[in-house]
Amino acid sequence: MDAHIKKVYVPMTETSFYILLCLRKPNHGYGIVQQVDEMTNGDIRLTPGTMYGSLSKMEKDGLIQFIRKEEKRKIYQITDLGDKVLRLELKRIERLYQNAREAQR
Amino acid sequence: MKERKTTFKFFTITQYEKEQNYLRKMHKNGWRFIGATVPGFYHFEQCIPEDMIYQLDYNQEGINHKEDYIQMFQDCGWEYLTDFVGYSYFRKAANKMKREEGIFCDDSSRLDMMKRIFKGKMLPLLCIFFAIIIPQLYMQYSIEGFRGVMFIIFAILFVLYMIIFLSFGVEYWKFKRNLK
Repeated sequence: MDAHIKKVYVPMTETSFYILLCLRKPNHGYGIVQQVDEMTNGDIRLTPGTMYGSLSKMEKDGLIQFIRKEEKRKIYQITDLGDKVLRLELKRIERLYQNAREAQR
Repeated sequence: MKERKTTFKFFTITQYEKEQNYLRKMHKNGWRFIGATVPGFYHFEQCIPEDMIYQLDYNQEGINHKEDYIQMFQDCGWEYLTDFVGYSYFRKAANKMKREEGIFCDDSSRLDMMKRIFKGKMLPLLCIFFAIIIPQLYMQYSIEGFRGVMFIIFAILFVLYMIIFLSFGVEYWKFKRNLK
């Protein structure tokens, strides 16, 4: 994994995190917005300007790939590189969580 | 036929927030934004006063892939209005939002838009400045001295460009400060 990817995506924004998490299955931008809305009980509302910019940036960086168009909506899916980055981020968050739990004991 | 009016307003490259607020205020006063033309004419149509949130995006890629770009905004409840000098205009009724909403939800993507504006608008100006204006200024000075007409024209351009660069710098600094 090159330095640019690490610098930009570890740690990553909440938006990028949920995009990668949701794109383990093929989906379009608005599908991700709806899924995240459900997962967080409406606390996180992803917005179209952020979504469109993030999706095209992550596609350029090779974390996700465009697979097809469905009724004017672009369907994306995570790539192997995206999966690696997601795992790295998950490890980081797990450690964060564990350390916080231990500190509270 | 609905009544129409046109106003003239000048916003610098980075004053899109001021522009958004202006369009919102107009709509609250019963004037619906229908389009803009260079150098800064804003066209309105009379409507029922309503609190509408206006938002501007600067995304060349979106303009090049209009179909899925606009679809994404529509899915999220934003009405696409028009493009003007690289910006795309959207609006959504405030009463359709649970809390005040914009088209950006994190600072990272707001900064990305600022970077796109820099690349799309400032970089070409910087190229003209260093490749044409500075060399010409020097050349005209060596040919005609301070009083030559061409020298004065390029000197005016020089000052104008400096003002643009400085105001972008100030706006960018303010923007960065507001992020955190």
